[in-house]
Amino acid sequence: MKIIHLTIDDKSIVAPEGTNIFQAALDNNIYIPGLCYHPKLSQFGGCRLCYVEVTERNQTRRRFACAHPVSEGMCVKVNTAEVNRHRKAVMEYLLAHHELACPTCNKSGECGLQNIAHDLESPQGRFKTARMSVPVIRDNPVLELNRNRCVLCGRCVNVCKEIEGVGAIDFQNRGFRTVIGTAFDRPLDCSFCGGCLAVCPTGAWQDRTLKFSGRSWEFESFQTICPYCSVGCTIVLNTKNGSVRRVLSDDKLGINEGNLCVKGRFGHEFIHSPERITTPLIKKNGEFQAVRWEEAIGFVSETLGRIIEKHGSNAIGGIGSEKCTNEENYLFQKFCRTALRTNCIDNIANMRAPFLNSVLYKSVESGFAAAPLKEIENAGALFFFGVDITEVLPVIGCMARKAIKLNNANVVIANPRTIIFENTAPNEARLTYSLGSQHVLLNAIIKVIIEDKLVDVKKLESSASNLSDLRLSVENLSLTDVERLTGVSPEMIRNAAGLLTKPGNCCIVYGKDVIEDPLGADTIKTLLDLCTLIDISNRSEIHPGRVSLFCARYHNNSQGVNDMGVVPESLPGYLDINDASNKESIEKLWGIRFSEDLLSKKPLNLIDAAKIGSIKSLYVMGADPVAEYPNGKEIRDSFKNMEFIVVQDSFMTETAKQADVIFPSATFAEKEGTYTTMGLITQRSNRAVSPVGESKADWEIIRGVSEKMGHAFPYANVTEIMDEIKKAAPVYSSLSYDRLKRKEFHWPSSFPEKKESNTCTFFAIQGKSLKVNGEKEFPFIVMTGASLNHHGAYSARSRALVSVAPECCVEINEKDAKDMHIKNGDMVMVESRVGKLKLKIKVTRKSPPGIVFVSDAYADTCVNMLVCQAYTPVKIYTASD
Amino acid sequence: MVLDERSEGSKVEATPARARIMVGMGTCGIGAGARGVLKSIESELAKQQIQADIVHTGCIGLCSYEVLVDIIIPGRTRVTYKNVKPQTVPLLLEEHIRKGEIVKNHVLSQMVAEEGHEEPYPSVPFFDELIINRPQRKQILRNCGYIDPDSIEEYIARGGYEALKKILNTMSPEQVIEEVSKSGLRGRGGGGFSTGNKWASCAKYSSDEKFVICNADEGDPGAFMDRSLLEGDPHAVLEGMIIGGYAISATSGYIYIRAEYPLAVRRIKHTIEQAKKYGFLGENILGSGYNLNIYIKEGAGAFVCGESTALQYSIEGKRGMPRTRPPQSVEAGLWDKPTVLNNVETFANVPLIMNKGAGWYAQMGTDKSKGTKIFSLTGKIKHPGLVEVPMGTTIRQIVFDIGGGIPRKRRFKAVQIGGPSGGCLPESLLDFPIDYESLLEIGAMMGSGSFVVVDDGTCMVEMARFFMDFCARESCGKCPPCRIGTTLMLDILTRITQGMGEEGDIAMLEEMCGEVKTMSLCGLGQSAPNPIKSTLRYFKDEYIAHIRDKICPTATCTALYRYEVIPDKCTKCQACIRNCPVNAISGSKTEVAFIDKAKCIKCNVCYEKCNFTAIK
Repeated sequence: MKIIHLTIDDKSIVAPEGTNIFQAALDNNIYIPGLCYHPKLSQFGGCRLCYVEVTERNQTRRRFACAHPVSEGMCVKVNTAEVNRHRKAVMEYLLAHHELACPTCNKSGECGLQNIAHDLESPQGRFKTARMSVPVIRDNPVLELNRNRCVLCGRCVNVCKEIEGVGAIDFQNRGFRTVIGTAFDRPLDCSFCGGCLAVCPTGAWQDRTLKFSGRSWEFESFQTICPYCSVGCTIVLNTKNGSVRRVLSDDKLGINEGNLCVKGRFGHEFIHSPERITTPLIKKNGEFQAVRWEEAIGFVSETLGRIIEKHGSNAIGGIGSEKCTNEENYLFQKFCRTALRTNCIDNIANMRAPFLNSVLYKSVESGFAAAPLKEIENAGALFFFGVDITEVLPVIGCMARKAIKLNNANVVIANPRTIIFENTAPNEARLTYSLGSQHVLLNAIIKVIIEDKLVDVKKLESSASNLSDLRLSVENLSLTDVERLTGVSPEMIRNAAGLLTKPGNCCIVYGKDVIEDPLGADTIKTLLDLCTLIDISNRSEIHPGRVSLFCARYHNNSQGVNDMGVVPESLPGYLDINDASNKESIEKLWGIRFSEDLLSKKPLNLIDAAKIGSIKSLYVMGADPVAEYPNGKEIRDSFKNMEFIVVQDSFMTETAKQADVIFPSATFAEKEGTYTTMGLITQRSNRAVSPVGESKADWEIIRGVSEKMGHAFPYANVTEIMDEIKKAAPVYSSLSYDRLKRKEFHWPSSFPEKKESNTCTFFAIQGKSLKVNGEKEFPFIVMTGASLNHHGAYSARSRALVSVAPECCVEINEKDAKDMHIKNGDMVMVESRVGKLKLKIKVTRKSPPGIVFVSDAYADTCVNMLVCQAYTPVKIYTASD
Repeated sequence: MVLDERSEGSKVEATPARARIMVGMGTCGIGAGARGVLKSIESELAKQQIQADIVHTGCIGLCSYEVLVDIIIPGRTRVTYKNVKPQTVPLLLEEHIRKGEIVKNHVLSQMVAEEGHEEPYPSVPFFDELIINRPQRKQILRNCGYIDPDSIEEYIARGGYEALKKILNTMSPEQVIEEVSKSGLRGRGGGGFSTGNKWASCAKYSSDEKFVICNADEGDPGAFMDRSLLEGDPHAVLEGMIIGGYAISATSGYIYIRAEYPLAVRRIKHTIEQAKKYGFLGENILGSGYNLNIYIKEGAGAFVCGESTALQYSIEGKRGMPRTRPPQSVEAGLWDKPTVLNNVETFANVPLIMNKGAGWYAQMGTDKSKGTKIFSLTGKIKHPGLVEVPMGTTIRQIVFDIGGGIPRKRRFKAVQIGGPSGGCLPESLLDFPIDYESLLEIGAMMGSGSFVVVDDGTCMVEMARFFMDFCARESCGKCPPCRIGTTLMLDILTRITQGMGEEGDIAMLEEMCGEVKTMSLCGLGQSAPNPIKSTLRYFKDEYIAHIRDKICPTATCTALYRYEVIPDKCTKCQACIRNCPVNAISGSKTEVAFIDKAKCIKCNVCYEKCNFTAIK
């Protein structure tokens, strides 16, 4: 890109060609007043405050900085008398119109209008005012729109359209009566991402969760990581008097560029929820009683010791947390493996998809995880496979829309449901495949790519060792068969294959619908084959591009818990536990000796072991298997038969209810540590407030119990734990805890870069498909998945989120609903072979006929009571009250 | 040859075998009662058993003479009758068609014999020799009111689509652009940007798609040039557009037209269909290999959508709001593709230039402004209408020679040229020649060509207020100077007209004019202060009278009225007393009337009812 030299206010600067003056000044810390320009939005040019004097080609003219591109040798003056006079005039107009309610406005102190008016020393004004007077809109739980304070900068309109892809608001009316509003003044119906709030330069958009609980200058700010999904957005907590009052986003921090979803921005109220467990609890005679910490720890260590004596240490199981920090999870597995001397440890993510860790590690090794998550913004082709981007990873959706805006990215979406992903991509392919046919679909795409020579076959032959195997694996697949199996037409497959092989970067995100399919392991391996294919064709000199593969994890640290080795088959950093040298180095580090029976070739799934009774006691840290793991009824029963259950949690979850002892644990805002996102990026979270009540960070609780049991952990803080993790887990060895303050750590970066000369090997797995059908008695198949508005126990205790989405619904196709004579809002019973739930009906076009969808993100609705296998058949009937 | 495929439409013959009756059925004619006249002609023809063709035609530009009916009988020239009413129809038909006699009372003029062999009527003036028409040069309007606009054959018979054939057969796009550049044609939409330059800079950009747009969103109060053109000679506009499209290699075209012009919309739709049928539009135009499709987009009534970028957004289905430039439309316009956007009248000029040559065209007009300009002459004028004069014609010629001066013995006061964006020009500038530069110099602008004449009974402050009100309402709301600034200026003007003006208001208005002009984003805001600026420049006294003396010199601003009886003039007739709706006037046969100002609601009834101008 060409570099342009120019001077602004006598300061010589450079800027890339095509930049506007405003952005060039912004990049060089030169202040030009302005309300409408925002770097992440398209230029609007409406506020007229960035008026500057520009000399170019020997002509001096006055220009608007945001609307004028830089040119070589240009000379810009920001503050001449003439320029200021006009700027002041516009500010006077704005102030004549604006409701001057600064004393009661939450924005006061951080308001763009206030600041610029102050900077310009705007006088009282020449005008008898002409104020707007329209009612304030409070038709939704989280956002308030006061249009009397609006300067019509258009930012919210643009952010809603361009970033969130919703376009819920636009300008209305003309002239003086122009306002921002929804179509036909209907209540705001959007994803409530709060993007409008974040970009609003004035107090027009207000955060209703803030109410009047603090002024901007009273807040302390703490940068931290969002506790919900696995994208790992950076958020800023504003606290006052030791409590979190609101969440802000910062465009300059983190991977999310100031974009958040409704949970991240408004779901903070759980931190100070009255439902928090604030003291240790011991169940006495079926009732929980608050006790002192010493008593609880003493009781736990004593009982655990007794159980080890009685049943042997492998009778104790440990379940790690997808929500706790890496340090805590590391300490947890160390505690289980040393103090409890058991290897029966696991986490729910791994229990649901035991093959995932190894395939993921494989993809890191093959170089398909070489780019961080932000790579999506640079993608030329995007492939969302079995993941509902809008509901599961909303901020990835924002990144994808950026890629579409900047690079005109192609979009391919393959999903058994017609998911919604609002975007402006000119080239989009939607492959709505029938349940269980994903593997065949993928094979068909590969077949088309090879046979239609969408990649350079010569290069393939030279780069891959077993192309013939891959050819062979797809040889007998005919696209008409594929159409019969998947319901996707050959044209659509050809179209998708063409879009995916567009030169440039390609990003693939796969999710739950792929992973939890019985053929998930094979599908992901075949996905790796596809990556290899595209990767080879992208290795051109003209358009070099790389392929990135991302796995949509569920919780904020679903990746980290596995990295930390809270799994039976590997030690931290995916070191094989059966490998003697790995074992030895850990023994040396920990200063212990593993018992021989620690190593077992084929560890039994922890829950299955609990069911058959080989596990007598469970130690659960920050997880809720009773509510989250399939076949809830059986789990409940087996937990009831457990001799002793210890739970560390912040809320009385379904699992906690079954516990004998509950330790109150601190939430993300009350502790320090690191989380690893689905992009394999480790980020640091900071402590914003002191732990609520007597609660403690999970690592402190474990340290206490372990010490009591005779295994003192000498860590004073999380930094020391991280130092040990670096020694234990090779993939984390180059992490620096201090550097995390400034920059996140991407652990695949420690792997050697993939060389072009490396030959690739294909898995070449023949296409397989399942026949998923309802049964006579249970005609529907239930699918589960994440929800935009909820995410387990935290969101259920955040009032704002509960009022946005009060209850879990069962989504049913409009045709099915019509056949059954049910309509939106009706209460129905959803019944499977193992259980039933009473739910509200939501008629949609998202679910195809025969498939119903129930979100598993609502803490109060235990969908696992219903689900007993990958595709559970259910029946639906009207509920009698 | 495609032209042989004539399948429908009226037969075009210079001397028809039977009589032809042509009724002016433009929106103006219809407004004057042309429908009734038409009905009456139909029934009368049947009654008198006369064989004649009835043809609808467009506006010929003589609003004060509507309804106009032209009659041609074989072998004679075409005669125009003015102010025709349904009851005069039988007489016209009887006398003219049956007997071949002119009806002297109603005749306006006759047309010059087209091919020389029609016999003119003695003692009937020729159309071009009418006083009204003498200073005019009807080039663009040559077909308006003359032909049946729904008939492509009549357009072709008058030389239509010759230009298109010529350029497609003999000229390259570059040559077309060069010819247009040489002619000196400038945009008729108001800005006056050189059309040739615009086309040339658009032709520079290559793209998979390019657009040519015709801006027919005529929104200025008092402007109806574009409407009349589209209603009277739509094929000329379309031909100009196709030529423009060819010059820039456009792939498709749009006509953005006001939905408030239903007749024009219908006409242009029909025109496009006809042109397609004849191979002038669509795929492979006249066998040249050039493809162009033209679509119609109806506007939704926003004045600002006449602004080129807002218009493009509107076509895209977005809210019509202007955007900042660069990029210019020629680089990234409609759907971010290179786009040329011109006004209706500009396109109508193009076939003429192509037919007669740039040299011929450049002869007309002044140094920098070439050709003719159509004005819609309205307001306080005897003969309002559509006039086409060469650039450089003086205001006096237009107002007094063509328009016939001011009616009802009033005096000329000013003329508002260019609508709400233009300026008010006073009597002292009557002999000023009109072209783009000169108008800017004296504080007005060409605008689209509305020409509103104002007599001495009009208050200039109130007029400035009216135009400011228009601009404030029509602002799109995007930028504060236009959205809030115009409203604040309107507030001040309103205050002044209500007698609440303050010292310093004038200075403030002057300041604000500059600020709003400089800081606004688009032409609407930038030119919104023009009416205030020009009235302040030429009629400052009136402002001062309103503010300092609380008097409206023209007695227009009702809030400033103080009704008083002039005792010397009062004849004690009590007409005012009888008509006062609030009984505010007392008096008797012996007593001079007296107005109780506390009761008076300033309804102006007494003033109107007094036959002796005894109330002031």
